[in-house]
Amino acid sequence: MRLLIAVALVAGLLVPAIPVLAQDTEEIRRDMEQMRKQFEAMQDQYRKAMETMADRLQRLESQGQQTATTPVAAPPVTAQLPPQTQPPGGTPPSPLDLIRPRQPFALYERRGSGQLLFDMGVAGDFVGNLTQSNVEKNQGGSFSGLENLFFPREVEVSFFGQIDPYARAEVRIETGQSSRNGELNIGLGEGHLTLLTLPFGTQLKMGRLRNRFGLLNELHSHDRPFIDDPNVLVQFFGAAQLRENGFEATWVPALPFYLQVLGGVFNGENEVAFGRNTLRHPHATGRIRTFFDLGDFGAIQLGSSIANGDTPEQKSSTIIGFDMKYKYTPTGWQRALFTAYGEYLVSLRDVLVTDSDGIDQTRHRNRQGFYVGADVRPFAHGELSKWLLGFRYDWTQYPVNPGQEWAAGPFIAYYPSEFLRFRLGYKHTERTNCCSYLNFADNGGSARRVDEIFLQATFILGAHPTHPF
Amino acid sequence: MRRMTLLVLAALAVCGPLGASPTLAADKLRVVTSITDLKALTEAVGGDLVEVDSLARSTQNAHDLEARPSLMIKVRRADAIVLNGLDLDDWADVVAQGANNPNVIVGAPGRIDASRGLLVLEVPRSRIDRSMGDVHPAGNPHYTLDPGLAAQVTQNILEGLARLAPQNRAAFERNRQQFLARLEEAMGRWNKLLEPYKGAPVVVNHNMWLYFLTRFGLVQAGSIEERPGIPPTPSHLVKLVNQMKQERIKVIVVEPWGDLKTVQRVAQEAGAQAAVLASSVGALKGTDSYINWVDSNVKMLAQALK
Repeated sequence: MRLLIAVALVAGLLVPAIPVLAQDTEEIRRDMEQMRKQFEAMQDQYRKAMETMADRLQRLESQGQQTATTPVAAPPVTAQLPPQTQPPGGTPPSPLDLIRPRQPFALYERRGSGQLLFDMGVAGDFVGNLTQSNVEKNQGGSFSGLENLFFPREVEVSFFGQIDPYARAEVRIETGQSSRNGELNIGLGEGHLTLLTLPFGTQLKMGRLRNRFGLLNELHSHDRPFIDDPNVLVQFFGAAQLRENGFEATWVPALPFYLQVLGGVFNGENEVAFGRNTLRHPHATGRIRTFFDLGDFGAIQLGSSIANGDTPEQKSSTIIGFDMKYKYTPTGWQRALFTAYGEYLVSLRDVLVTDSDGIDQTRHRNRQGFYVGADVRPFAHGELSKWLLGFRYDWTQYPVNPGQEWAAGPFIAYYPSEFLRFRLGYKHTERTNCCSYLNFADNGGSARRVDEIFLQATFILGAHPTHPF
Repeated sequence: MRRMTLLVLAALAVCGPLGASPTLAADKLRVVTSITDLKALTEAVGGDLVEVDSLARSTQNAHDLEARPSLMIKVRRADAIVLNGLDLDDWADVVAQGANNPNVIVGAPGRIDASRGLLVLEVPRSRIDRSMGDVHPAGNPHYTLDPGLAAQVTQNILEGLARLAPQNRAAFERNRQQFLARLEEAMGRWNKLLEPYKGAPVVVNHNMWLYFLTRFGLVQAGSIEERPGIPPTPSHLVKLVNQMKQERIKVIVVEPWGDLKTVQRVAQEAGAQAAVLASSVGALKGTDSYINWVDSNVKMLAQALK
């Protein structure tokens, strides 16, 4: 009996200990397994590091061989810097070096790895035109007030880049000649930031920007497919087009096809179409854009835009636009063989008219206009691939006053490289009900029939954002 | 005003899910790459844990792609974008911005630069400008053509994918090791094939074959394009033909989108032959995977050098 109790007592002590012992063993086993895995991982890491180093050594040796035998383009003689602007073997520049005038590329040259800088570019767009002397008198040419001149239409310096992980900025300082006396205006062409990480697939742009209305408005002069601007855009928005201070939000829903929805709110500074210039009665814009890739048959973009605001007379002005762009790029071609563009605009506007009794009355004006254009670049390779032929037809009514005009003209372009372009064009314009109220100079000239020859030279220095479709 | 506010809120509530930022897929990561070479390498690392698409087609010259909205749709729902970097695919930035996808913009975790840590060839040491043509300030960007760099490139891709799906890191690593093992075996074959031609000079159409030639011990002796992106002048072509005759250069390597007419004319005058190699995965028949692509190029080059 006593023995039984003793055995029971011992068993009672031991049995709980068995799982404890087992637990300890299991823990030790796990620890050992972990240590084994860590050791294997370390081995693997060392092996990879050694493989990478061996690889790099082989590359270095091959590069040394290659550098000796492969011809590398030597910098042209004209590009050599004067001695004082050359970085002195890695030492930082002295204050004297910093204030000394230097070559335009010195800033880039000093930019080494690990230096924070944004992208910079310069674009220059120069235009010359020849037309009849009576058109010059009347200032009725496509470049009103600058007829029979060669002038810088737009020279801009752009800075663009990432502000931080959440936003991007773009600033363009522009200058150009806007009047016959050669005076150059310099100003902020665009300056805006875009918030890129907003929810629900939205982005918000704010600042001074070219409204995304239609096909061409957001493009700068040097980026446009024609030398001059389509007549309907000039008549409806003025020579400066829509460039406003405000906000623009876009939304791209996650659909199987591309759709971009845009809405904007601006001050309404554009004096031709709006002009109220206050956020209490803002100029609002909207746009929908979609795109279809037609495979071997090209691609087409369709869009619809609306802009609404008040005029200084507190009358409503609405412009609705429909646009299309089609491109055909054969397989293996770098550039499109054929491109077609078009925009159709409708202006719905209330205007203040003083009747014969001297009473101001509100009249409604519905006006429309459009342009269609196309260009062909028929060769894929070689010298001939640098040439392009184009044509455009315009027709528009005047948004406030009676009358209409049409214009047509071919042009030819030559691209020595993607950074340099020359264009030569001809344009014939005919106007009805011309012209004193069309803001042409009333000095005995006439702009009813206009024949113009255009020459354009455009260059890009440095960085330039990739062109969208 | 209240009605308007309610309408706007209702519209947001309905449309919100349509525009919701893409979240990590429960089982597959949606990855977009700029070029097909990186697509192939990403598939090699990701295996069946990723769904990969490429923005550039294999037959396109990736230097200057148009940022079409159809590309933006591909990126719109992507969890990650794999970029070549070194200025080859700067157009991808415009695509990423137009896609309104915060996962893939600069600085986002889903942005993977495949060129990190690579030893880049032809990094300019002196001042460069556009008088030299369409030069790449960060160096020659065509490193994907060098199978010897696949280890580092796939490591970069793995790190990027694992950043987004850390639970799959071990699987990515397994896939990568399996791919590298197959690649190593293939490298043995390729080295053997091109061993007899080590040191042989070769002319190229566009300066994109340097990594490939260097890997296998061949020498790039000249190029049809006197300056990148600029059609060659007649005087340059005459000099090149004379050089090829003098140095007995037998092969001109050209990519499918290159100016075949000019290359063939030069080859004929120099008594050489033009070898059309696949500039990217899928550019020619039988180059649908990374290893098949390099295999095809090695075989064609060896054949041309015979």
